[in-house]
Amino acid sequence: MKKRIYYWVHEEYRDKPIIAKVILETKVLINILVAKMKPQESFLILELSGSEEQIEKALNMLKKYGEYEDIPKTIEKNKERCIDCGACIVHCPVNAISREEDFTIVFNEKECIGCKNCVKICPLKAIEVCEI
Amino acid sequence: MKTIREINEKIKKGDAVVVTAEEMIEIVEEMGPKGAAKEVDVVTTGTFGAMCSSGVFLNFGHSDPPIKMMRTYLNGVEAYSGLAAVDAYLGAAQPNSDDDIDINYGGAHVIEDLVAGKEVRLVAEGYTTDCYPRKRVSTTITLEDLNQAIMVNPRNSYQTYPAATNSREEKIYTYMGTLLPEYSNINYSGAGQLNPLQNDYNRERKTYNTIGIGTKIFLGGGIGYIIGEGTQHNPEKAFGTLMVKGDLKTMSTKFLRAGTMPNYGCTLYVGVGVPIPVLNEEVAKACAVRDEDIQVPILDFGVPRRDRPVVAKTNYKELRKGEVTIEIYDNELKRWVEKTVKTASVSSYKKSREVAEELKRWILNGDFTLSEPVAPLGRGSCKPMKAEAKLVRDILSRPPIVARPNISIEEAARILTEKNINHLPIVDEEGKLLGIVTSWDIARAVAQNIKSICEIMTRKVISSTLDEPIDVVARKMSRYDISGVPVVDSSGRVVGMVTAEDLSKLLGHRKF
Repeated sequence: MKKRIYYWVHEEYRDKPIIAKVILETKVLINILVAKMKPQESFLILELSGSEEQIEKALNMLKKYGEYEDIPKTIEKNKERCIDCGACIVHCPVNAISREEDFTIVFNEKECIGCKNCVKICPLKAIEVCEI
Repeated sequence: MKTIREINEKIKKGDAVVVTAEEMIEIVEEMGPKGAAKEVDVVTTGTFGAMCSSGVFLNFGHSDPPIKMMRTYLNGVEAYSGLAAVDAYLGAAQPNSDDDIDINYGGAHVIEDLVAGKEVRLVAEGYTTDCYPRKRVSTTITLEDLNQAIMVNPRNSYQTYPAATNSREEKIYTYMGTLLPEYSNINYSGAGQLNPLQNDYNRERKTYNTIGIGTKIFLGGGIGYIIGEGTQHNPEKAFGTLMVKGDLKTMSTKFLRAGTMPNYGCTLYVGVGVPIPVLNEEVAKACAVRDEDIQVPILDFGVPRRDRPVVAKTNYKELRKGEVTIEIYDNELKRWVEKTVKTASVSSYKKSREVAEELKRWILNGDFTLSEPVAPLGRGSCKPMKAEAKLVRDILSRPPIVARPNISIEEAARILTEKNINHLPIVDEEGKLLGIVTSWDIARAVAQNIKSICEIMTRKVISSTLDEPIDVVARKMSRYDISGVPVVDSSGRVVGMVTAEDLSKLLGHRKF
């Protein structure tokens, strides 16, 4: 299975190779989708792949060094405003936006990581993404 | 052979055969143009895209005491009112007068709000006269309160439009949307096989078969008319445009929408649909145009010039697939390489279809009959502006003053003072740019006791070329907050230096 989370590293572990440690100990595959290292916080968006057991183990480990949160429903298309042009598609780093046969633009909430690239470029301001 | 009158008789009786331009493709394929002309009476077309050259003439009625409006603002967006007392023209691309709002709420947004029935703040000022004693007026209006709100769009419904990509190493913001660095996306616009002018284009004669002045059309969800060829109309090159008018009071926000191209400007998305009477075989044949028949050049918007280089040629069918493979020159590998690039539309094909379908429904219901044009479209003209481009090569006078990286800080300081300059490009033995040292860097070296040029020079240098317009150099300096750029030739050799001083002398020159 796959699980995507937001992860904030506790200040005292910021300079430690926590993700590497979790990978080595649990054998879970981790894809770092976003990493923001700032003086006041280090924030990551992670995608964990493995068995249910492995993922649980990995989450328990991550909890020791920081806080995680399930990614909430992030992306929403305002059907009134959207004109289904498709200008947003190429700006999505995780292919969460696609076009159907009839040219309708669809958003896959499960894939969205909340980066807001699409929100910024949408000429119609038709995409809403939850604040992280 | 049929006449428009005969077709209208059929429409009124409910006997007319009406199909969309998409449906017509298959019909012509099956029956041939002759058979299709016999079978089909009307082909409906549609397009829905960003059309900046749009706007509305407004008449507010007279206030008491009356005012001659000279500066007119609607929700903070200025409308041109250098007309009679209470007439104004609100352009779609006009930004907000409040810099903080700017392009996020402009003329197009006011137009959409009016159509949505929302209240709009009107503030106007004028000079006073014996007949117009009022200086200022401030009130709230809705579309209903206006005597007239006539949409008149000087250029809509481009027959086709070049696609856009970006060769630069940075993201750029254009009227074709946001273009990622190094050819990472291709944006295109246009309804292709559904476009009104495309379906009416006579490829042999380079004219339009049925469209003319007075053709009744679908405009923004209401009924409109073609009032002539649009600005920059260029039928010779299959780049026709339309000038259209319609009553804003009959339009709907389903087919008229405001948008903002990020860091570029605001614009109005307009739905335009034209019915084409299938009078004969020739008309039917033109209506069978397919996406793959319409060639679309891909231009490099990374080049900030009027004539942008053509990177590749493709067509609407390829573009709509979602990716196109182009050949680009790789500067590191020093050879041409293939790159598959994702494509994205900035107009809506889905909405274009809805326009054609809606117009078809109107005709089938007998609500919309066709009009007889009173004259064909004019020949148009699309030539460049008579304005000289000042290039970097035009303003470079003296030979470049450069230095090698092994000179001392003192030597660098001496060169700067002796030559009375502030920027010293550092070059290798072949004269190729390595970095730049400014007088400020020298000051820093002295303060921090730094001894080597290599330690203080800036290595990531913003540079220019001989063929770059000086306006582009000025934008670079302002954007990167720098006061000078070295000019390099194609091999990277420094050939000169352009400074903010050079530019201010040029742009701020005085006659007296």
